[in-house]
Amino acid sequence: MSENKIVTLAEDEPLNLDGGGSLSKFKTAYTTYGKLNDKKNNSILICHALTGDQYVASDHPITKKNGWWSMVVGPDKPIDTNKFFVICPNVIGGCMGSTGPKEINPENGKEFATDFPVITIADMVRAQKLLIDYLGIEKIFCVTGGSMGGMLVLEWLSKFPEMVHSAVPIATATNHSAQNIALNELARQSIMADPNWQSGNYYHSDKKPMKGLSVARMAAHISYLSKEALQSKFGRNLQDKNSLDYSFDADFQIESYLRHQGFTFVDRFDANSYLYITRAMDYFDVSSANNGSLIEAFKNTQSKILCVSFTSDWLYPTSENKKIVKVFNSLGLNVSFIEIETENGHDSFLLDEPKFFEAIKGFINSTFENL
Amino acid sequence: MSLINENKDFGVIAELIPNNASVIDVGCNDGSLLEYLREYKNIDGRGMEIDQKKVQLCLAKGISVIEGDADTDLYDYPDKLFDYSILTYTLQATKSPKTVMQQLVRISKKAIISFPNFGHWKIGASLLLNRKMPVSKKLSYSWHETPNLHFCTINDFIDLCEELEIKIEKKGDLSNKKLSNFSGKNFLDSYFNEVGLFLVSKD
Repeated sequence: MSENKIVTLAEDEPLNLDGGGSLSKFKTAYTTYGKLNDKKNNSILICHALTGDQYVASDHPITKKNGWWSMVVGPDKPIDTNKFFVICPNVIGGCMGSTGPKEINPENGKEFATDFPVITIADMVRAQKLLIDYLGIEKIFCVTGGSMGGMLVLEWLSKFPEMVHSAVPIATATNHSAQNIALNELARQSIMADPNWQSGNYYHSDKKPMKGLSVARMAAHISYLSKEALQSKFGRNLQDKNSLDYSFDADFQIESYLRHQGFTFVDRFDANSYLYITRAMDYFDVSSANNGSLIEAFKNTQSKILCVSFTSDWLYPTSENKKIVKVFNSLGLNVSFIEIETENGHDSFLLDEPKFFEAIKGFINSTFENL
Repeated sequence: MSLINENKDFGVIAELIPNNASVIDVGCNDGSLLEYLREYKNIDGRGMEIDQKKVQLCLAKGISVIEGDADTDLYDYPDKLFDYSILTYTLQATKSPKTVMQQLVRISKKAIISFPNFGHWKIGASLLLNRKMPVSKKLSYSWHETPNLHFCTINDFIDLCEELEIKIEKKGDLSNKKLSNFSGKNFLDSYFNEVGLFLVSKD
């Protein structure tokens, strides 16, 4: 178990942001597991997804549930904390202690709310780099993460290639498709359409945009599952009843399940953070700093890489992940690729997928042995 | 390593590959050949393998491997990216041996291709005498379960290379662990080599 730590970074020099503007003296909340060895060559940086946080392998302080990757990270787990020093920071723009819209703007003593600058995935990575510098690590042994976490991994490979020995981008893409953006826009509009959102200034109000955030989560949750998984789990089963109510209550189990997902989410997530982070994902294009050339974006990358996709993931499908593999192949990089067969959809990377675990473990351990 | 050394094919293939070469093994199985070549020739190796269980074995050995299909995924590599490509006992299981061969000589400077020779006298004899599809050590599947789609003989292979303007540089005789320069079709090879092994290239 790891205690949450908070460090203030960019104390001397501000962090310049892609959208103009900057952040100085920003906070990063993070957890660590295991010990950094004397050679400082055993660190693994884990990048969380949209609604993830630094509680990768420790109980979540709000939900009290196990860490989101507690099956992967821990003693004798695929990422073995007896061997590796694991670091998991909450991204900037997040809401679990890192500087984001719900934190206090030191300039005026009030919450940033929508005065928080629009940030990008690259900004998040630059912020993470300051944390790695602070921890005294020159070369990270492995950077990994799924979904948005995978985007951060790709950005690391592009922006700071000399600092990354190996990388495992999982169920991700080099940029967002129109469909990805559309789904995020649906979520944002749902938040902003909630009158309790109050243009983002709800922190001191007793009315918070819980309905809007809840619907946003419901929509997103559908995209994390496959049609097959939904069908086999819920089908057209009714919730605690034998016949239809002829009302708009949750007659079907799937309705009840989604409502539950929505309601529980608002307890642990900030609506403004949801707006900022989805925006960062939509803006993400790892080739954007290189005139759209993916080859240029990764031309200095020397890392050993394993790309992973899941057969039933329609949000970041195998075809998108294979695009990444193709770029790495074109550059002659040491790249591996594996497609895990599962019906669990995009969420697979957070679930019990033994073949996925085997691949990660095999790759990471053999790469470490050959250091 | 003991198991690997027992496989005499590896030694013959290793003789064809200079030290420090970049190599892709298409249909690399559990990665043993790449491991052998890494050990003895210090190659920079990559694998491609369609069977996920074997992909996992490669990953655990530290071999960079793409879970992929020779028929569709070789297009992803740029021209002459590798010094050598290797295709052992896989050609006959591809949907389109012709395109696979074209891809191999495109992505590498030289390609090493081996396949079971359907012209071997035992196979001929089996068909002639028993009227049954041959099953042997090298051809271990019954006709109804075989993954092999396109059997060919050494002479067929030579004809295809000619048609595709692929140059055959060397031939290998695995039973005698011998390599020699290629000088056209040869009666002895086509009858008595159980396996055809060739070093080919196309500029």
